[in-house]
Amino acid sequence: MACLHDHNCEEHDCSSDWSLYKHIDLSKVSALNEAVSGSVKSVFRAWEQRLNSSEGYLESNEGDPELIVFIPFTSDVKLKSISIVGGVDGTSPAKMRAFINRDGIDFSDAQNMQPVQEWDLVENLQGVLEYQTRYSRFQSVGNITLHFPDNFGGDTTQIHYIGLKGEATQLKRDVVATIVYELMPNPSDHKTRAETGGGLSQVE
Amino acid sequence: MVLEATMICIDNSEWMRNGDYSPNRFQAQADAVNLICGAKTQSNPENTVGILTMAGKGVRVLVTPTSDLGKILACMHGLEIGGEMNLAAGIQVAQLALKHRQNKKQQQRIIVFAGSPVKYDKKVLELIGRKLKKNSVALDIVNFGEEDQEKSEKLEALLAAVNNNDSSHIVHVPPGPSALSDVLISTPIFTGDGEGGSGFAAAAAAAAAGGVSGFEFGVDPNLDPELALALRVSMEEERARQEAAAKKAAEEASKQEKGEQQSTSQDATMTDNVNADTSEPEKKTNDLMDDENALLQQALAMSMDDSSSTVAVRDTDMSDASADDHDLQLALQLSVQDGAADQSNQTDMNKLLADQSFVSSILASLPGVDPNDPHVKDLLASMQSQSEQNKEEDKAPKEEEKK
Repeated sequence: MACLHDHNCEEHDCSSDWSLYKHIDLSKVSALNEAVSGSVKSVFRAWEQRLNSSEGYLESNEGDPELIVFIPFTSDVKLKSISIVGGVDGTSPAKMRAFINRDGIDFSDAQNMQPVQEWDLVENLQGVLEYQTRYSRFQSVGNITLHFPDNFGGDTTQIHYIGLKGEATQLKRDVVATIVYELMPNPSDHKTRAETGGGLSQVE
Repeated sequence: MVLEATMICIDNSEWMRNGDYSPNRFQAQADAVNLICGAKTQSNPENTVGILTMAGKGVRVLVTPTSDLGKILACMHGLEIGGEMNLAAGIQVAQLALKHRQNKKQQQRIIVFAGSPVKYDKKVLELIGRKLKKNSVALDIVNFGEEDQEKSEKLEALLAAVNNNDSSHIVHVPPGPSALSDVLISTPIFTGDGEGGSGFAAAAAAAAAGGVSGFEFGVDPNLDPELALALRVSMEEERARQEAAAKKAAEEASKQEKGEQQSTSQDATMTDNVNADTSEPEKKTNDLMDDENALLQQALAMSMDDSSSTVAVRDTDMSDASADDHDLQLALQLSVQDGAADQSNQTDMNKLLADQSFVSSILASLPGVDPNDPHVKDLLASMQSQSEQNKEEDKAPKEEEKK
């Protein structure tokens, strides 16, 4: 299990760095333009298994190389870098655009919006390349949407592995569900203990 | 119970004046739309439905996806017939309306009523279909009204481009005696949901066919939805409870059988050795579960041969068999209660052990124990003195209290 990085792997364990896949909420992962519904879930694995796509991989529909992958996390994470293993024969994605903490992005949204960061990818069949993020912008990521607009000329786009490197905080972004605002206070809602039990204080 | 947002595209072009569907195509279409809205909102209370018209002056959204059935039905009033249907624009506007739905978790679905001829070519329609598929929008097409070969081909091509995993459907409804809505009830457009849709559909079908109120619980879901919902929920709860009870009963029945078999085994051996072998009660007092298979086999064999009272019911048979021996009966009663592991049982046991005669009779029946043995005698004496001491102690405080 040799790491082909140019650092000395004995100092740290490579696989533990790429362990953000444990914090992905797999049931809510979704993709647009995937040929087989649900195949996107097989793309998140441990670092050692990154080249082992026996359980399936993500492929786009025939003749259409665009893909959108929506990845929600179980808690906020700080994302340091991303690694993508594509397919052979020009089916690897060529560009990647990332959007953070937005729900329900589809292709027209993705094409019109400015991404938080965008990368030009190269064919990375051994999974040794990582694309670093502008860390300051990826400090509290509740979910991330990756848009792959085109590939290296193949008929479809294939993605065999998506690796995420970073740290997970234990915080969660809570969406405020229901708030009741008072336009004018209703005194009956604000009875003090003194008022109900007798006493000098009053609520005006 | 799929969570879904649906946009229904209505054809209100000039071709809808025709009377080949009763009373006219437009009215038949409106009835079908009402039925679909009802089915969708019933199958999942969070489903939303919206409506737009494709002809007239242009594509117009009458109501954006909402779960308010009243609003949807109200907007169907006062629609005017005229103009030409614009299928491509209609579908694209529907897609836009779905894109801006409030709850992004809902699946997107478009239902198109195509009554007039389709003027777009196949290529354009296929392009639209592929775009829908890419954005995971499902499409249901109701092909009625004008019939020509081209129209069917184009619509089939559109469906093929959209279809992803059989989530999209097409239905061809030729003009005939049965109403458009009746034909649609049995199609996957209604039943595609699974249970919820078909429940409503079955109720509606029964109402249509039978007359009065063939609704599920005799309550019209439209008139009183809360009552219908309450009835449905309580029915399901009842069903779940009955299933749990049935399961429990089955378990208990199997346990009882086991227990009965053991008791019949004891019983059979009792009838065999009524007077002689009183070590049985001791065995029984220990644990019923201990001496399993051998006894069981023996008992079964014996109960096969034995014509006397070795049948099922525990208590009565036991008392019959051991009517002779008073001690045995006591022991039997003890063993019967032993399964429950009663507290009082324990004290009974202690009392019995303290009872001199009982102990001696048991000891007499034990093989290898001679009551005349000095050790045994000492033991008995000590036990007796202990019990006497206890009695004296009890008496003493009582006497003091009396004083």
